[in-house]
Amino acid sequence: MSLIFILIPFIASAILLLLRPGGSRSIALLAALANLAVTAWCLGCDYSQGMNCTFSVPWVASAGISFSLGMDGITLIMLVLTNLLAPLIIVSSWGRNYDNEPRYYGLLLLMLGALNGVFLAQDGLLFYVFYELALIPIYFICAIWGGQDRIRVTLKFFIYTFVGSLFMLVALLWVYLQTDVNGLHSFAWADLVAVQMSTYSAHWVLLGFFLAFAVKMPLFPFHTWQPDTYVTAPTGGTMLLSGIMLKMGTYGVIRWMIPLAPEAMHVLNPIFISLAVFGILYASIIAVKQSDIKRLVAYSSIAHVGLIAAGILAWNKAGLQGGILQMLNHGINVVGLFFIIDLLERRLGTRSLADMGGIAKSAPKFAALFMIIVLGAVAVPLTNGFPGEFLLLNGVWNYNFWLGALAGLTIIFGAIYMLRAYGLVVFGETRPETANFEDVNSREFLVLGIIAGLVIVLGFFPQSILGLTDGSVDRILRAVQI
Amino acid sequence: MTALLIIFLTALAVLFVGLKNRSWLQPIALLGTLLALGATGYDLLGPGFGWGGEYASMFRFMPFAYAFSGVAILATALIIGLSGWGFRNLNSTLGDHYGLILFSLCGALIMFSYTNLTMLFLGIEILSIPLYVLAGSRRDDPAGNEAALKYFLMGAFATGILLFGMTLVYGSTASFDLASISRAIGNGDHMPGMLKVGILLMIMGLSFKVSAVPFHFWAPDVYQGSPNLITAFMATVVKTAGFAAFYRLFSIAFPGAEGFWSIPVAMIAALTMTVANVTAIFQTDFKRMMAYSSISHAGYLLLAVLAIGTAGADQALLFYTLTYSLATICAFGAYIAVAEQRGNGSFSAFNGLSKKQPLLAAVLTLSMLSLAGIPPLAGFFGKYFLFTAAFAKYPWLIVLAVINSAVSIYYYFKIIIAMYFVRSQAEDDSSNVAGEMNNDTLTIPVGVRWAVLIGLLLIALLTLAPGIVYGLI
Repeated sequence: MSLIFILIPFIASAILLLLRPGGSRSIALLAALANLAVTAWCLGCDYSQGMNCTFSVPWVASAGISFSLGMDGITLIMLVLTNLLAPLIIVSSWGRNYDNEPRYYGLLLLMLGALNGVFLAQDGLLFYVFYELALIPIYFICAIWGGQDRIRVTLKFFIYTFVGSLFMLVALLWVYLQTDVNGLHSFAWADLVAVQMSTYSAHWVLLGFFLAFAVKMPLFPFHTWQPDTYVTAPTGGTMLLSGIMLKMGTYGVIRWMIPLAPEAMHVLNPIFISLAVFGILYASIIAVKQSDIKRLVAYSSIAHVGLIAAGILAWNKAGLQGGILQMLNHGINVVGLFFIIDLLERRLGTRSLADMGGIAKSAPKFAALFMIIVLGAVAVPLTNGFPGEFLLLNGVWNYNFWLGALAGLTIIFGAIYMLRAYGLVVFGETRPETANFEDVNSREFLVLGIIAGLVIVLGFFPQSILGLTDGSVDRILRAVQI
Repeated sequence: MTALLIIFLTALAVLFVGLKNRSWLQPIALLGTLLALGATGYDLLGPGFGWGGEYASMFRFMPFAYAFSGVAILATALIIGLSGWGFRNLNSTLGDHYGLILFSLCGALIMFSYTNLTMLFLGIEILSIPLYVLAGSRRDDPAGNEAALKYFLMGAFATGILLFGMTLVYGSTASFDLASISRAIGNGDHMPGMLKVGILLMIMGLSFKVSAVPFHFWAPDVYQGSPNLITAFMATVVKTAGFAAFYRLFSIAFPGAEGFWSIPVAMIAALTMTVANVTAIFQTDFKRMMAYSSISHAGYLLLAVLAIGTAGADQALLFYTLTYSLATICAFGAYIAVAEQRGNGSFSAFNGLSKKQPLLAAVLTLSMLSLAGIPPLAGFFGKYFLFTAAFAKYPWLIVLAVINSAVSIYYYFKIIIAMYFVRSQAEDDSSNVAGEMNNDTLTIPVGVRWAVLIGLLLIALLTLAPGIVYGLI
């Protein structure tokens, strides 16, 4: 079953890239919807006994590498995130008529398959391979269809993240060489986790993984690639990067970093969490000052993911549950926000907040949907952002009172910069350029409506998600104690 | 053994056919190499012809030799596939070219199978002498002549040093036979100074051959000056042969002395990776960049020599040389088609290639990604196997190698950036000057198309199932 998540997008992507058929956007959407249907089917499986829907064949038998996939509640939420957002991302790219569409959608699907692979992988090397494979399509998407200065920015992004993950590879190799399964080494998750390390060696392993994931998320001070890349990338690329790809990092912390090297967590974790919390404040303050709305959302993304990381690193139930829930919610909100920015940019030809204003009059539907998504991003109660952030703050609070208090400032800052941006865009005096702002058409309404609907539904019923992950979080907390 | 004979006979046949009918040359050479490849496959995977150990005191064909022969013969076959286009301007010397390439391949096969230092020497000479000629085969080209002269002088010098080393090793162990040398060295507790100097000189001589820093300075000029296909041959077959010989010598004859030679070899490896990768960043000419890239890969490959004694070191070497050769030949195939039609060998020749010839651009992209070792391509598994093999002994060297492979992304991506994100001169012209005809005709020659497609297919196969080669010997 789990193989289908990877096969459908890869096959569709190969068709698009090699045969370059017409109607590529429909093929892409069809593949993404098929994946979504499989995800929906998987919601019904039982994950209380650990991994379900497993698939495993030896890949390089003599080196202990196997192509093994499997899913539990945590993976399931990541798959929901990926496969729910993918059709929305595809549809939201329709408004832009990119040249060479088959290539664009082909790369997008390749990315989708690789992301699913990252979340499903139960073999260390397979995880690494998918983790890196996801980088190639996004590099091309950003560098071919991106904005100004894209070549320099994307190469920086590529090298930055690639170097980070190479350190993970070294750490992974080290753990792999300590395994012993009938005289052979093994990359299987359970075998890697079973390795007992001294605190000293665990330091290095932990640092290797942390570098990779901290660059990917990104955490302060490894975030310098992020704002430029988000701003330069085409909207579809930005959505993939911020909505799904950064969750590879946070997911990696839960599934790989902490379980593999818990021995050194008590030494290094205070540093990691402090970095995450400092990053929240740092990015929030910068976001308040931004005049480019895309850059503003990029910085807000650093702040949000910092909170997710801090909650996960606290490694208690509230933090983990909140982290997983918030990964999903942040993905939904940020995709919505970037879609709105894309609409603004397409209609007004600018992203500068100073040039906007007074849109509410000419585009009431747009303003209403924008409002709902902004409220979700600000984490107002009864929107999807609230339960996630509440649990996350609770988790950090349990770890350390002061860190929790500092991290709590994110909600205040978030309200400041998001509502400021919303006000500048929607209210104020109507300018000649914004007077004829066209309201959302039916396709755009569909995308924004789905996102706004999710913001409200998940705000009312967070338990529907939390219930799915509850058992898996308990299991992993029991298995790995720091 | 059978493959060696087939190749030798094909080489002779080609020389004579070349006098009469030149259009048959490529088919015959291709047929000969494919037959040899089949024979090697039969020996390696099937029951075999059973006479691999016929001359066991001189050379013995074992799975190790068969597997590496397979790599070298496959690489040669692909190069011969490219040659229909690459050698299109040669007339009377065409037969000589094929003959010399095949003779050189015979030398490589001996270097895979020698059990005696004299055969190592002979193998290296049989490999090198045809190449000295081939490097300078464009007689009216000053760069070609410079390349040939440099290659010959440096090669002869290196052989001299190697020979001197052999003499000293012989002097202290009283044998040319690898196994006897190993017995004489024992566990390396009482090594005479003469033996140590001998081993050091052999390391130097072989480092010249595989172009490891600081004995690499001939490589960029020779690679750039030689005809394109000969450069591809040097970068793949010669490198594979050099490393297989290196590995064989140190794993069979000198394992006992590892405590002595591992330090200099590790230093050479560290220097080679770092210097080559940093220098490659500043190149603007494709062949020069590939020269430094091949030097940097020599640095990674030395890890296999350092990992001698670890299970899987030979497997890693085999896998790496195979993926490296395939990616290099694909890259050269695309380069030959583009550069010779556009008359430009620098990176700018690739500008806008993705619009003009998406296939070539895709081939070149995948080879570059594979050479850079980006997962999940075959080159990544090559690096992975090598790094794992040497990790236990030299963790610091692996960290250095990992940083270096990150550096290498920068220059490999320059090509990709040129192909996909930079507009070609012709595109600029046609958009600036309204109505002017776009006269940038770029076609893919048939031979090039097939060779790169087969190369690409093999890379894809190794990507999906690395286990078919890793674990073979």
